[in-house]
Formats: sequence, structure tokens, C-alpha cells
Amino acid sequence: MAPAQNGHVEQPAPPKVPSKDPKKTKDEKKEEDLSEEDLALKQQLELYVERVQDVDPGVQKLALESMRQEIRTATSSMTSVPKPLKFLRPHYGTLKAYYETMEDSDVKNYLADILSVLALTMSAEGERESLKFRLLGSKGDIGSWGHEYVRNHAGEIAQEYQKRQMEEAHVDDLMDLVQQIVSFHVKHNAEPEAVDLLMEVEELDMLTDHIDATNYKRTCLYLTSFASYVPGPDDMLVLDIAYSIYTKFGEYTNALRVALCMHNLQYVKAIFTACVDPLQKKQLCYILARQGVTLELDDEMTNGNEEQRELLQEIINNIKLSEGFLTLARDLEIMESKSPEDIYKAHLIDGRASAGASVDSARQNLAGTFVNAFVNAGFGQDKLMTAATESSSGGNTGNWLFKNKEHGKASAVASLGLILLWDVDAGLTQIDKYFSSNDNHAIAGALLAVGIVNCGIQNECDPAYALLAEYVSKDESNIRIGAIMGLGLAYAGSQKEEVLRLLSPILTDSKVPIDVIAFTAISLGLIYVGSCNDEVAQSIIIALMERSDSELGEPLTRFLCLGLGLLYLGKQEKVDATLEVAKTFNEKISRYCQVTLESCAYAGTGNVLKVQSLLGLCAEHLEKGESHQAPAVIGIAMVAMAEELGLEMAIRSLEHLLQYGEQNIRRSVPLALGLLSISNPKVNVMDTLSRLSHDTDSEVAMAATLALGLIGAGTNNARIAGMLRNLSSYYYKDPSLLFCVRIAQGLVHLGKGLLTLNPYHSDRFLLSHSALAGIITLLHSCLDMKSIILGKYHYVLYFLVLAMQPRMLLTVDENLKPLSIPVRVGQAVDVVGQAGRPKTITGFQTHTTPVLLATGDRAELATEKYIPLSSVLEGFVILKENPDYQHDNRTS
Amino acid sequence: MGQAHGGGLNRKGSPDDRKQDDKKEKKFEPAAPPTRVGRRQRKQKGPEAAARLPVVTPLTKCKLRLLKLERIKDYLLMEEEFVSNQERLKPQEDKNEEDRSKVDDLRGSPMSVGNLEEIIDENHAIVSSSVGPEYYVNILSFVDKDQLEPGCAILMHNKVLSVVGLLQDEVDPMVSVMKVEKAPLESYADIGGLDAQIQEIKEAVELPLTHPELYEDIGIKPPKGVILYGEPGTGKTLLAKAVANSTSATFLRVVGSELIQKYLGDGPKLVRELFRVADDLSPSIVFIDEIDAVGTKRYDAHSGGEREIQRTMLELLNQLDGFDARGDVKVILATNRIDSLDPALLRPGRIDRKIEFPLPDIKTRRRIFQIHTARMTLADDVNLEEFVMTKDEFSGADIKAICTEAGLLALRERRMKVTQIDFKKAKEKVMFKKKEGVPEGLYM
Repeated sequence: MAPAQNGHVEQPAPPKVPSKDPKKTKDEKKEEDLSEEDLALKQQLELYVERVQDVDPGVQKLALESMRQEIRTATSSMTSVPKPLKFLRPHYGTLKAYYETMEDSDVKNYLADILSVLALTMSAEGERESLKFRLLGSKGDIGSWGHEYVRNHAGEIAQEYQKRQMEEAHVDDLMDLVQQIVSFHVKHNAEPEAVDLLMEVEELDMLTDHIDATNYKRTCLYLTSFASYVPGPDDMLVLDIAYSIYTKFGEYTNALRVALCMHNLQYVKAIFTACVDPLQKKQLCYILARQGVTLELDDEMTNGNEEQRELLQEIINNIKLSEGFLTLARDLEIMESKSPEDIYKAHLIDGRASAGASVDSARQNLAGTFVNAFVNAGFGQDKLMTAATESSSGGNTGNWLFKNKEHGKASAVASLGLILLWDVDAGLTQIDKYFSSNDNHAIAGALLAVGIVNCGIQNECDPAYALLAEYVSKDESNIRIGAIMGLGLAYAGSQKEEVLRLLSPILTDSKVPIDVIAFTAISLGLIYVGSCNDEVAQSIIIALMERSDSELGEPLTRFLCLGLGLLYLGKQEKVDATLEVAKTFNEKISRYCQVTLESCAYAGTGNVLKVQSLLGLCAEHLEKGESHQAPAVIGIAMVAMAEELGLEMAIRSLEHLLQYGEQNIRRSVPLALGLLSISNPKVNVMDTLSRLSHDTDSEVAMAATLALGLIGAGTNNARIAGMLRNLSSYYYKDPSLLFCVRIAQGLVHLGKGLLTLNPYHSDRFLLSHSALAGIITLLHSCLDMKSIILGKYHYVLYFLVLAMQPRMLLTVDENLKPLSIPVRVGQAVDVVGQAGRPKTITGFQTHTTPVLLATGDRAELATEKYIPLSSVLEGFVILKENPDYQHDNRTS
Repeated sequence: MGQAHGGGLNRKGSPDDRKQDDKKEKKFEPAAPPTRVGRRQRKQKGPEAAARLPVVTPLTKCKLRLLKLERIKDYLLMEEEFVSNQERLKPQEDKNEEDRSKVDDLRGSPMSVGNLEEIIDENHAIVSSSVGPEYYVNILSFVDKDQLEPGCAILMHNKVLSVVGLLQDEVDPMVSVMKVEKAPLESYADIGGLDAQIQEIKEAVELPLTHPELYEDIGIKPPKGVILYGEPGTGKTLLAKAVANSTSATFLRVVGSELIQKYLGDGPKLVRELFRVADDLSPSIVFIDEIDAVGTKRYDAHSGGEREIQRTMLELLNQLDGFDARGDVKVILATNRIDSLDPALLRPGRIDRKIEFPLPDIKTRRRIFQIHTARMTLADDVNLEEFVMTKDEFSGADIKAICTEAGLLALRERRMKVTQIDFKKAKEKVMFKKKEGVPEGLYM
């Protein structure tokens, strides 16, 4: 339907609707009671109409001229049709008929112009007479007839263009008009309309010629927010235009964001080559570091300056992340480490809960380990693992470690890695001593810890590979798993060739136990996330094909499928070939694998069709034994999380799943909710999860509890904390559920509230693939809570480290030293397509940097003294002094 | 979560039971504590919160908005497909029916209406019925505890007085009668002249409700309300009627004097209710006629009654531009004594537009005469111009009175036509009345 396609342009101004009223009788009646002036005007116009049909061209011309004058000068309100147009309505037919009989002349063109205006209100819907006469007319300045006229034309052009495309007629004359209209719109603050029109006629390239320094920001904002709603491949086209406009105006940070959104490394390199300002380049590097892109800078990109190259590379490699994070922590005065008891706040619960401590002490201690690790993540010190080493009594070290049993020790040692997160030098020294331990579990934990410390950081010496490589081929499978998982975490997203060489033989070795293979597949999936690497894919496929029936029944087999899926994360149709192969797998795993592959491939795309097909899968009521619906539910969340609207609508859909779904679906719904609003405690999601956390089915309750932790991750949200405290007293006799509650409590206080798990950053524009991969790995392992997290593979919780990022704004000066300046932080407002310079934040408070930013928050500088080098104030932002700044004495 | 304490009290022993019952088929699970305690959640605007759709920005008509709306539509279609599939595969209706009848059994019949005095813990409360003392009773598990708040009306079991339901709709009946159910007959066509006023009121009241994007385009906030003022009989109420006639928004009309109530605090409460209802039913237009009944300037009031009236006005001030944002509620006030109104009431932000209704000029007068005489049978000698051109000050209501009076005179003499003489007499009579007994032309 035409109106649906051309949204705004199709309709004439709403106030004109009354004029369309075809009640002739009413019109006639009205004419009787015209006021004198109106009557005079009417007669005047009738006279003009007669004169137009005069034989003398001079008279004709004069009449047309005065008619045009009348129409143009008619100032009327927005609630009614201009009077001249109203009075000329009855004569439209006569003028049109006369026009046909005229010979070609100036006068004829003139008349065409007038007719074109009249057709605005007169011509029947779909006839596009206005456009027809416009093309026949004198082609004068289109803006002179007013905004409404231009809008109407835009609508008609879109229709005409489609018609001509169908007939394959030429469109050159239309394009001239499009040029005119676009330049008119762009000059009159109506960039969205210009973009819309160009989209309709598929000539978006034209935009770059019309945009200037005053309006490129608004235009690009519109384009970028447009991109997530346009179906592919148009979205890439739109982003491409945004990229070229940004580069045209030297807005390199934004251009880089767009390029990263397109996953176009060519563009990224081009930006580095084009950008000459060294300071600006540093800012670019910070953005790359946040996105987790590994880029080797070459001479061309750094203009041959070796010293500078090193500095830039250091920023990209995230070497300073730990330092920045600690600056933030010191500034907020929360360096002091917290023990799990500080988090449980047992004194706030009434009496009986404390008695429950004795239920299952090993599991309690394991929970304590995780809580301690999550809470003190990145701080470099805690009260259980590191504090003891500093105090003189050496025996203390072992104390906490040996409070954990067997595989619990692995997690305990690995927690050291999380505590010393990003601080490679200090971390390795502390971890080192566990390598000499004679306990296999401790060694496995140490290996994992090395991986965790190096997560997201590329050190020049590459310690992770050096340390871990030799352990990969050990005999003990838990040591192997530790080393493999450590490699996966350390090199996630880096596509490091050496690791592939090291790990791929394991996959194809049929003697290796299934759990080692599972973790190998995940690690390779993480390292080659979203790369579509064929070699890895083949190895995993072979592993899946060769394994026996019973092995494929193991809960850990899901990791093989997921590892395969991660390779295609966000790559859409590139997964198709692998998907075909997946159909030939053993029936036990085939459907699970297909759903996982598909949901991974379309993760973060917002593709509605995929959501539909996944929802369709969930609509079936299955016989026992099939397990592919659970990943489908998580898949819905993965696909829909791309943009706000889809996200909210998906939450609604999940409600229906809860209502109608079978138990296996109900178990995964909380996890999907957790993914959809990760680190973003929305009240409605919180209420749903709180309801589910009391569900009679203990697995639903466990998943909901964990999801509560995920949505509150790193927020210190008091409401969730309260809910979890109540849960801990409610479930004090159920060790498994209590374990989940503890983990959730740890997550809520993640990094004492300084970290976030949200894979989206830069104003929700960019998606970090490795972060998302980490989260979904955890979610998939939660699908079989009993045998994985509550079993002996609880260290899968450490996959979350991939998504951990400080949720801070740290402003640094030109020498990259922290700089404290006032900023306003408030709720972000969607300002796309709004007139003027609307406020971008609402309900703000003024703080001095460094500050914390919650999900949905945005910051802006509160001082004119500095200019930020990045338009999105998140993470590290370099400020330079504003040369135009004048100190205002009055205000100080 | 202050509820935790209470929760401990009545659930005492239940976890132990659970342990023992574990082996039995059905184990007892204590009910989940309510998600929230304290004041009831403010009712969400319009349909229920669960059915609410996300807000779509920008308001401007553009392709982005279209795409976003389509995205929402796609999801809704999927939901529809899913739900209808499920209903087909696994009909829930019978089950629901069964559940409902079970609940009805538990509720018992007849039920009595009571008042919730206090909530003790999540399933006990103190209630009082209209007669007799207060009781400590159970709250049955199927009652939505999130909706319970002290002071609300509840349904009670007839024997044990336990809470079995709550009365949702507590819209003040006073407010519900204010809603204009039947549109008045007067339309814009029935107004003589007043073109500028019609245009202003359309821009200020109707357009913001129908086309908010126009205001967004230009980057301004639409006006919140208008006040119509002018001599008596110049068409203020008529224009409001025409607005009610033409709009599809909810139209609430009040007369200022209705807001003055017998008991202390009732007036402000009524104003609050009025605006709450307007908000629930938004988009809506609130028309308060004769606002000077409550809106006069504040001064040292001596009697409690005057103070109450002033408090009513203060509540009105707050509702017009207070802390809570009014969404799609537009306010039209009408008075013929704008000078006596409190300046706070008229400040921009509360009432953004003041529309004056002057006495009709000659042109308008002619138009009004035409409207009123259009359906009368006039004799040939009638020359309305004579009355139109007269120097006397007529309001629209006076003209109507003249026409009616002339018709009555003709009727008295059993004539079928109204003559010029009738009109003359009628005019004299009307003017006599208007000038308070001084015959026309006495001092001329």
C-alpha cells in the first residue's frame, strides 16, 4: 500500500482534511454567507480565470502573475485551506481543459505551475497530477510555493519512481526534481525527509553533496539509528553513507564507530591513515580497545613515527585498563576489599537464615569463592585469596583454598585471576606459586587464572600462550581443560593462528574425553568468534560426527554446538552451509545444533523473521527427550536484543512463552530475560523474575535467581539485593538454590558496582562480539544447571569475564593523565529527528570525573573549558583545551 | 522489603513441613511474598501495563518512525500467531472456566463489601465492614496482593469475613457523570463569526491531541490549556460545545460551582479525581465553566468555607501545572470575569492562551441573525439590516433572544409569519430587560 511506504510524505497537511470533504451541498451553502472581502477575492479570482483563457498572451500572463501572487501571499492558519486555493477549486477543471488546448509557450509553463499547486488539494489520490504539471511547468524554485508543496512532491515522486521502475522507464527528469527537493529539505532543517526521499529513489549517495558542516551531525544520527531497522543489505548502504559523511567532515571517532559497526577493517585502517592528529588517534585507539579489536598498526597508519606507534599500540592492547579502573576505584574510595559476608548482609535477614550455614559447607565455600571473585574483580586485592599472602602468617594462604574440595580448588585459584583482572604483571606473580603445587586442581585453576588475567589484553610478551601452551597436551583432563579455557579467554576474538594450531588436533583426536573436547570447541569458538573460519568449523564438525551416541548424550556436548555457532556470531547467511551440514548430524544433537547455529548467526541483528521462526519452534509441544527449544528461547533474546523496540517486544513475547510453554521452555525463559536486560535492572523484568524465582519447579527458580543476578550485574541495585536476601532465607535449606542465590548476589555487586556485563556500548551502538559470546556460553551451560554449574564445571561462570568492562567515564588530558572536570550525567534521550538542539540527557546530576555510567545513561561536559575528542563520552575520553574558552569571572 | 518480618511470622513451621512432606505427591510451598508492599501501583494509563507498547520516537512523520512502528507490528503479529497456535493446540478456556468456578466457590455468595484497615502480613489483614467492629481475617491466596492498600474497598466472605476480592473501580461517581457521553448538537457551523477564536482553540486544544508531531517539528511544547473570557452571551460555552461535538477525545465538563463541596477536603479531592480520570481516559479535554466560582483572587479568608474554596483552587493550580506531568489532557476554562481570577491560575504554563470573546461586530451580528432566522418563516417586510446596523450593543445571546421573542409575539397573534414589527417590539423588550428597566432611548 502506498501510504505505508511513504510514511510522512504521502499525506497532505492534516489540517487540510476538512477541505477534502466532498459535501457539495455544504459548499454551496457556505458560499452564500461569505464575507465581503472573501466575496471580492472570489470574484477577483474568477476574473483571473476568465482572463487566463483570453486570446491575448499579455493579458494571460498578467492574470497568471496575479493569480500566483494571490496564492503565494495567502497567509492562513494551519487549520484551514488558504482561501485562494479554496475559491479556485471549482475552476481547476476548466483551467486543466484549457491547458490542454494551449500551444507551447511561456504562458503555458506558467499555467502548469499554477495547476501543479492547485492539484495539491484537487487531484484524486494516486493521480500524481501535481507532479505531472510540475514536470511540465517552468521548473522554478520549488521552495517558493511553500513547504507543503515540497512535501507533497516528495511523496508523489516516490510513487512515480516505483511505477517507473516497474515499467523500466527512465527517471532522469525525476532526479532533477529530487535534487531540488533534497537541497530544499537540507536547508530547512528537514534532513530526515531528505534522507527518506533519497531512500525511496535509491540514490542515497546524493546526500553527501548536500550535507554541510551545520547539519551533518543530525543527518548521520538519523542514518545510524535508521540502520538498525532497515532490512539488509540496505543497512550497510546506510551506514556506508554515514561513514563517508563522517570522514568528509573529519569526525573520525564517529566514523570509526560506524566502521566497527559494519565490521569493516578496511575502513578502520583508512581512518587511521586519514587521521593526522596524534591526539585524535589515541582516542581512536581507545575506542578500538573498548570494542576489543586487535589491530596491528603499521607505518602507514602512524605516519612512520615509531614512538607514537608503540604508544598507540599500547592503548589498543588495553595495557592501561587496569590502571584506569583503579583510578576510578580510588576516586570513589572503594578500594577496601569486601568479603562475601559483606555482600550477604545476613544481619538484615531475620534469625533462622544464619542457622543454615552448616548445610553444605563445601558448596557454601565455593559460592563464597565466586562471590569474593566477582565482588573484588579487578581490584587486585581481597580478603580471602590475596590478603593472606600479604600478612605474615604464611599458613593462611592455604586456608581458604583448602576449604574448597577438589574441583572447587580450581575455581578458588582461578578466582585469583579475576581479582587481579587486567593487571598482567602483578597477576602472574601471584598466580605463579600455584604452578608448583602438587594438586592437579590447583594447577588447573592457576592455568585458568592466567587466561582470565589476560582477558581482553594483549601483552607484548604474550605470557598467556607461553605459560599455557605446554599444559594443553598434559594427561590430566582437568589441567587440560584449565589450559584450554584459559587460552580461550585470553585470546577471545583475536584469531590467533598459533592457538588454532595447538588446539585443533585435540578436536579431531577421538581418544580425548568429551569434556576436554567441549571446552576446546568453546575456546576455539571464542578465539575465532564471528570469523566464519572454515578450519575450526571443520574440526568441530568432525568431532561432532565421530563421537559415539552415548557421548553425544552428555550435557557438555552442547558446547561443541555452541563453539560452532560462535564462529558465525552475527554473520547471518554465511552460516547456511554449516547449517546444511548440521542437518546430517546424529539426531540427538542435530536439531539442537541447528537452532544454536541459527540463533548465533543472527545474534544482534534484530531480524524479525528469525525471531518468528524461533518462536515457531517454541510453539510446538514436544514429546520427551528433545532439547532444542531451550536454545531457541535464548535465541529469541539474542536476535531481538539488537534494538530497544525489539528488546521490549521480545520481553512481551517471553511472557507468552511462560504462559503457554512446557517446562523446558519455562526453564530457559528467565535466562533469556536475563540476557535481554543484562546489567539493566528494569522493574518489569525484575518483577517477573522475582515471581519465577519462587516457582515450584526448582530449575525455573534457579534460572530466575541467576537471571536476577545478571540483570543487576554490577549495579549494586538495592532492590535486587533485597530480593536475593529474601530468597537466601527462603531457600536456606536447599543447597543448590542457595548456591545460585549467592552467585547472583556476587554478580549484583560485580566489581563493587563498577563493572557492567552489557555487550553493547557507545550509546548502545556497538556490540562487542566476544562479550556476547561469553554471556551466551554461560547461558547455554545454565540450560543444564545440575550437571554443569552445580556439578564440577562451575568454572564456566568465569566465561562472564569476557563481558566485564568498567562502566565508567574517565577523562584524560593530552598526556593521558586523568583529569577531573565536572560532567553532567543523566538519562539518555532519543533526539533523532528532533528540531533544534534538544537536550540529550534528562534528569541529570553534575559530578566530577571519573564517574560511573549506568545502562541508558549519557554524560556531557559541564564545562566549556575542554573539548572532548569523542562525541560519545564513555570509557576513556581525551580532552583538549578549548582555545576559545574565556574564564567567566562573574560565575566563579 | 519490610515484608520479610511479617513473612517470618506466619510461615513459621512451613519449611519443616516441607521436609516431611517431601515424599508426598504435593508438597506445600509457602506463597511467594508480594513483589511490592505499600501504596498501590498507580494505575497505568489506558490499557493494562502488560499490554503497553514501547514509546516510538521521533514523533515527526518520517521513515524511521514508520519502520519502528512496523517493527512493533511485526512482533505483535508474531505474538498473535503464537497465542492462536497455542490456543488451538492446547485450549485454555475450559481450564480457565474450571478455575474460575473453583474460585467462585471459595468466595462464597453472597459477599459483603468492607474496608481494608490494615495489612498485618501477606495473608492477614484487619478489615471493617460498614456496620460493626473490625476483624482480624485471612486474605485468600488468589487475591492480588499488589493491588491491596489500606483504605481500599474489598469483597469479604459473608461468614468468615476473609478477604476474597477487591473492588477495582473506585472512580468517584461525581466524576463519572462529568463525562460527556452524548456529543452536543452544536457544531462549529452554528457559530457566527468568532473565526479567530475558533482557530485559536483548534490550535491550542485539538491539534496537539491529533497531530502532536506538528509541534515536535517546530520544537515547541503545545499549549496546555486556554481560557475563554468575554461578556455574557458571547458564545464561550457554545464554542466549548462545538469542541465537544467535533472531537473524538474524552470530554469532561464541570461547572466551577460543582467543585465546591459540603465537607472539608472534598473539593480538592474531586479536582484530583477529575484530573486522574482525565489522565486515565486520555486523550481528553476538561472544560471548566464559570471558573470564577473557585478561581477568584486569594485574600485573607475569614470563614472556613472561603478557605475551602481557596484550597480547591490551589489543588486546581497543582493539577494544571504541578509536579506530575499531564499527558494528553487539555483544559478549557471559561469565565466572564477574568479580572477577578487569581493571577497564578492564568500564568503561562498553566493557561497558555487567553481567548477573548468580544461583542459581535456588524458582520458577525448579521451572521448570527442569519443563523437564528434561518429556520423561521419571515414576512417579506422584515429587514434585518436595521437591527444589524443599530448602535446598541448586542451579544449573541441577545440576538437569539430577539429572534425568539419576535417568534413568540407572532405566535401570540396566531400569525404564521414573523413581521418587522414583531422584531422591533422584541428588540425593545430585550433591550429593556438588558438595561435593567431603563427603557431604550430614554437618555438619548
